[in-house]
Amino acid sequence: MKRLLHVTPSGWTGFAFAAFCILILPEISGRYWLSVFTSAGCFALAIAGVAFMYARLGMVSLTQVGLMGVGGWVALRLNYAFGWPFEVNMVLAALATMVCGWVLALPALRMRGLYLALVTLMAAGGLEIIFATFQFPNGGTGFWGVKTGSADPFLRPWIATSPEAYLRYVIICAVLGFVFIELHRRLQPGRAWALIRRSEAAAMAAGVNVTLYKTWAFGIAGLLGGAAGALLAGSLGLLDDGTFRASESVMIFALAVVGGARYWQGAVVAAVLYKVLPALLNIWGVDADLAFVIFGVGLLHAVITAPDGIAGQLIDAVRGLTAKRRKEASDA
Amino acid sequence: MLEIRNITVRFGGVVALNDVSASFAQPVSGIIGPNGAGKTTLMNVLSGFVTSTGGSVTRDGQELLKLAPHRRAHWGLRRSFQKEEIADDLTVFENVLVQIDHGRSPASQKTDEVSRMLALVGMADRADKPGARLNSFERRLTDVAKCLVGQPRVVMFDEPAGGLSIDETRQLGALIRQIHAETGAQVLVIDHDVDLIREVCAETLVLDFGKRIAFGPTDAVLNDASVKAAYLGTEEV
Repeated sequence: MKRLLHVTPSGWTGFAFAAFCILILPEISGRYWLSVFTSAGCFALAIAGVAFMYARLGMVSLTQVGLMGVGGWVALRLNYAFGWPFEVNMVLAALATMVCGWVLALPALRMRGLYLALVTLMAAGGLEIIFATFQFPNGGTGFWGVKTGSADPFLRPWIATSPEAYLRYVIICAVLGFVFIELHRRLQPGRAWALIRRSEAAAMAAGVNVTLYKTWAFGIAGLLGGAAGALLAGSLGLLDDGTFRASESVMIFALAVVGGARYWQGAVVAAVLYKVLPALLNIWGVDADLAFVIFGVGLLHAVITAPDGIAGQLIDAVRGLTAKRRKEASDA
Repeated sequence: MLEIRNITVRFGGVVALNDVSASFAQPVSGIIGPNGAGKTTLMNVLSGFVTSTGGSVTRDGQELLKLAPHRRAHWGLRRSFQKEEIADDLTVFENVLVQIDHGRSPASQKTDEVSRMLALVGMADRADKPGARLNSFERRLTDVAKCLVGQPRVVMFDEPAGGLSIDETRQLGALIRQIHAETGAQVLVIDHDVDLIREVCAETLVLDFGKRIAFGPTDAVLNDASVKAAYLGTEEV
């Protein structure tokens, strides 16, 4: 238990960063930046899901934004159909997306590497077509719940109706998501995933049910993606199919690698690159498409010099600096 | 007694194992043969990674071939691979613990057992060392500890001495000889190191081109003319 609940220096840094985002960021941000940071928080949660699958199991999933769309769709549909509290809608949306993750895992269980990535990309393409065809619910009638004209109001959490409070709410949900992943890493599933990543044969020889644990991982990625989609729906009040294109799933996977898939900092860096950087370029009057060029440079940088991403490089630099200071102190 | 009966494996037109049978009764038994003889294929059949066409493998009345690979591990089958399969991002302790994670015994009992087996193989002082920072002998010892936890019934080592020095091989041999006394498990060792096989195995099965060419007490088998011919070839006249 002590080992399970032990907070590492990286963990304390994470809590300090979360405290900054909860206490200070909403106070110093205008309406535009509140919206940007809230979206970044939602995507950080989704990216954490896809990064965890890659870092722990070596599995490439290119469906995560599509799964966010599923979570958002379910949350919107439940909101307009039943008017349940946001938390109930979000939990149900996350669970429904987790089931979608499991269904997606079925054909993917026998595949690895490029083939697995292609299967998940095809699933993302299928979801993109469904979203483009049927759109997202906006208060209409029938199963799809779509109507012409303006959307009906979306119920935000009663404790977070203002943009500032909602940003705090999203950050807290993202932190819970990160802690959820870390607890898994430290427990039996984490050990099983580490061995599966090393060798599936070795994992089976160690009594690990490879099918179960791979499905479990897909479920967790779906759960986090679904929760992120529901949070995004809560932020915007309505969703647009253009947000959930298959190309966006490819983009956030690439950014997860650039950021550093093994670390929570990587998901934050990826979300900042994905949402904050284009917003910054907009403010500066620069074409936001320049962000794609920067992403490309970042990906090349990660592939060539930083297999653990920007977060890995930063952590190594901090460790090196700390070790140097300790040595200097001991020499003195 | 581990009973292997009529195991045949074909990969396309290649017959990797041809109607192989053997009854291993000794605490430590060996399987030897030249490269491509089918030794690892036989181990893979026992592990469930390769399916045989017919035949059976039984121990304590349990038909192993009917079980999924991970179920065989739950039953008590353990194996090591030619290359040590140690997860780099887990500690030595966690690498061993994963072998009994599926069990229903209390967590404290599991950790005690892992600690005991790490002490047995001489890795207790490195329990918190990450897998990525182990040398090849430490990785091999961790692999051995993995094979010892969780009340194993059959432990299989696939070329455990590969890449080890003479001293390390001797140390490993001593460890393998202790396994039966410590755990009650029956041990099967595949290796090219005939000295190791002679030292630790009471009986030995010899395979060549997928066929059993000899089986019996190790000294007798190693002096068998057909075994010598398989290893050294025959003089052409």
